[in-house]
Amino acid sequence: MDFVRNFPCISIMLCLFAGIISSGLRGKAAMLVNAALLVTNTVLSACTLAYTLAAGESFVYVMGQFPAPWGNEIRAGVLESLMALFFCIIMLLSLFGGRHKLIEGVEEGKLYLYYVLMDLLLSSLLALVYTNDMFTAYVFVEINTISACGLIMIRQNGRTIEAAVRYMIMSLLGSGMLLLGLCMLYDLTGHLLMSNIKESVAQIVAEGQYTIPLIISIVLMSVGLCIKSALFPFHAWLPDAYGYSTVSSAAVLSSLVSKGYIFLLIKIIYRVIGFEIYRDSRIIDILFVFGLMGMIFGSLSAIRENDIRRMIAFSSVAQIGYIYMGFGMGTEAGMTASVFHILSHAATKSLLFIAAVGLTDVSGRNRQFIELTGAGYRNKWAGAAFTVGSLAMVGVPMFSGFISKLLFSQAAVQNNTKMLPALIVLGISTILNAIYFMKTVIRIYTPVEDTPYPSMTFRNMPLYAVVLVAFIILNVTLGVSSQPVVDMIRQGLAMFA
Amino acid sequence: MYLILLSIFIPILMGLYLLVRKEYASRGRLLATTCAGLVLTGALAVASFTAAYGSSFTLFYLTKSLPIAFAVDEMSVLFSCLTVIVLLCAGLFSFEYMKHETKEKRYYGFYLIVFGVLNALCFAGNLVTFYLFFEMLTLTSMPLVLHNGSHEAIMASLKYLFFSMCGAYMALFGVFVVSHNSAVLTFSTGGILHAAAGSPSAGLLLAAAFAMLVGFGVKAGMFPLHAWLPTAHPVAPAPASAVLSAVIVKAGILAVVRTVYYIFGADFLRGTWVQTAWLILTLITVFMGSMLAYREPVLKKRLAYSTVSQLSYILFGLAVMGAEAVTGSLLHVLAHGLIKTALFLCAGAIIFTTGRTRVDELRGIGKEMPFTMWCYTIVSLGLIGIPPTGGFVSKWHLAIGSLQSAIPVFRWLGPVILLVSALLTAGYLLPLTIQGFLPGADYDYEHLKKREPSPLMTIPIAVLTILSVLIGLFPAQLTDWLTRLAARIL
Repeated sequence: MDFVRNFPCISIMLCLFAGIISSGLRGKAAMLVNAALLVTNTVLSACTLAYTLAAGESFVYVMGQFPAPWGNEIRAGVLESLMALFFCIIMLLSLFGGRHKLIEGVEEGKLYLYYVLMDLLLSSLLALVYTNDMFTAYVFVEINTISACGLIMIRQNGRTIEAAVRYMIMSLLGSGMLLLGLCMLYDLTGHLLMSNIKESVAQIVAEGQYTIPLIISIVLMSVGLCIKSALFPFHAWLPDAYGYSTVSSAAVLSSLVSKGYIFLLIKIIYRVIGFEIYRDSRIIDILFVFGLMGMIFGSLSAIRENDIRRMIAFSSVAQIGYIYMGFGMGTEAGMTASVFHILSHAATKSLLFIAAVGLTDVSGRNRQFIELTGAGYRNKWAGAAFTVGSLAMVGVPMFSGFISKLLFSQAAVQNNTKMLPALIVLGISTILNAIYFMKTVIRIYTPVEDTPYPSMTFRNMPLYAVVLVAFIILNVTLGVSSQPVVDMIRQGLAMFA
Repeated sequence: MYLILLSIFIPILMGLYLLVRKEYASRGRLLATTCAGLVLTGALAVASFTAAYGSSFTLFYLTKSLPIAFAVDEMSVLFSCLTVIVLLCAGLFSFEYMKHETKEKRYYGFYLIVFGVLNALCFAGNLVTFYLFFEMLTLTSMPLVLHNGSHEAIMASLKYLFFSMCGAYMALFGVFVVSHNSAVLTFSTGGILHAAAGSPSAGLLLAAAFAMLVGFGVKAGMFPLHAWLPTAHPVAPAPASAVLSAVIVKAGILAVVRTVYYIFGADFLRGTWVQTAWLILTLITVFMGSMLAYREPVLKKRLAYSTVSQLSYILFGLAVMGAEAVTGSLLHVLAHGLIKTALFLCAGAIIFTTGRTRVDELRGIGKEMPFTMWCYTIVSLGLIGIPPTGGFVSKWHLAIGSLQSAIPVFRWLGPVILLVSALLTAGYLLPLTIQGFLPGADYDYEHLKKREPSPLMTIPIAVLTILSVLIGLFPAQLTDWLTRLAARIL
């Protein structure tokens, strides 16, 4: 079974090759290549996950047999392969769910480009997940940024170009900071491989040298990734980028791209700096505070919003806040909760974006709430899916969001100083979430007498309905049988150390 | 075991089926389906607490430490009986009443789902299962509130939702703290937190207990988070108001009973600041609810305020934590459930036949609908607490229990406020009877016509009235049973 060790590398390479091949294909063919790629990668990641679970330890794959410190390494453990598996599944569902919008929103001759970008994006996500080398990580961060900009811009109208430019500027600022931090770290330690850096950092800290440069490097890397993952107050680019791009892009951006950066930050915390050193650096408290503020202000902005897509986008700001709050606890339990929330939010947010587009489609493409009245009756599948997504977001038991909230609260109860602020803000944020999501659900289920808009049934959109059902199943599964996933996350985090 | 699951999931599935299927060709088919669902669920619920009494089982594990478990004990039997009686009577009443409303299919769909969720609450075996269905109850009963779709109804249901969410979250905070201090969250008489009584975390646990009391108390309309109740209950269709006011709020009471007597244990809370604060809150609510009801001109709203006040009678008895008072509380759960259903159904019958909602418009109503008004009067006497009706026995036990306890000040203040409130109860319920039967000399008898509603409406009212009187006439066996139950959980 040892050939499974090649799978992470193969899956990244497949993405790159698929991108190259697709650039010479027509739209439909590129779509098929992309679908095949995603299915293959799902299978490969599942195999890797099974392998690491069975082995009970992570493995390092040395590219081209060049040993460190010259060669490049890939490392796969339970957490990495779980993330890769999840990313592939969600991207597959998001792309299928938004396909009809893509075909109608993107110029005929440019459709293949969308799939090229998607292939590249997947390669960068997988690389961020698997890599054991800081410089490789940086390279793929840039690839990720470029392809994400393309995904925002592919549906060309004024708003998307503005959004893409904004995203580009903020993202480049973030990558710049990451690069600066990385350079400083390289200066301090002389290594680029994660495991080697960690040893050197431990040594430096033990000797008490370079305290300030080390802190500055940690700050630069953390803030850089925070900007890229839209932590409050660096979220200004987000609502436009998620709100106006084509729906698949919005789903992928919100549930995968920002999560890729967060996962990289987790890797930096555990594998590069070391959890204890990072915790003692106090940056964690700043992340905690901004996480809490994001939870409140994101929801408040969402309540004020009158456009369903932008509302969902603002809710992302709040959810990213949850994740950083979990980091900020500075405990194993907090980190587990954050990682679980990465998964549950990814599953729920992409569901919401995809369901929202079904609702706006049966409301004459209007995204204002007043037009959405009764949309849940006109498109029953989208209505049901949106309701499930909303319940999950609010954190009703039996859905994925409840388990996140449960894990966060359990983590909070263990931390004496941060317990009260965390629990109070969790409570306020839950109620705020309930306000805007339930308002929307009531709105889409308020009957209207005579509507000018036609209804959609299963016959009009079989693929879309199937995708929604798959998403619902995913959310309920995460909510009902979360224990295996949580166990895997714990195991994976243990392997990080 | 299967009976319990069936009694929960059959109504939920039937309700979902009604919601998703397309409009029935005739109203009769819809009613037949609903009727079959209600009777079947009622039978299953009764069967499960007779056949599966004392059993418990775990359905599955939400996470390793959080099993979803069901169990049947005496408390389940008490609340389940009430649920079945009220939901069947109000369901039967709906068949006639809902003629003048639209969207009947949706109404019956959610009505059945609520039935299933209520069964689940009665049979929940641990705190997590209970919390899970408690949240579901809020979400599934909300469509009953917003049924007519008007702006007022939607705002009321949103208010209901936010208060409930707020309360549920406060309770959830308590659940987390408790689960941090105890390995299991199974309901067991006398509580599960003996080990934590003297430990350093006791202070935090008391705070958690208070949060859970206030949080679960939201459903039971306890001050300070009671404001949703008088807004939300009256805008629902009358039979739904009856269910909301008689049974769904009792879920809040059940939650408090489970928390205090099955999780924390009475000994843990007796004599602490939590008990004092709780007593103060309940007495404020009793008085304030009656006062507001007294000043309220719209009949259904008046009844809703009365619910606020009456529920805190029950909470007061539970807060006293003595055998006698708890017996009174549990008896009042039953009495108030039956009486309030009957009152709301009477109000519904009046609205259905005359279309009038304000008390001052109802002069001479007793001449038009004598049977309904007689029932109204009899159950009103019960709620005031005049013997030989059900309310008298429960209030008697409450007052005696309070006087027997050793709590300073409240042991006599409680009964005083209960008496004042009883006076106010008479003041807000009886004017309708007096004006209804004695409209005065200038009443126009010429145009008087008898318009008693159809038997589908009068029979449920009559059944509930008779039951409430029977409790008052022959309380001995029931009281004995409840006294034993109260002694066991203390």
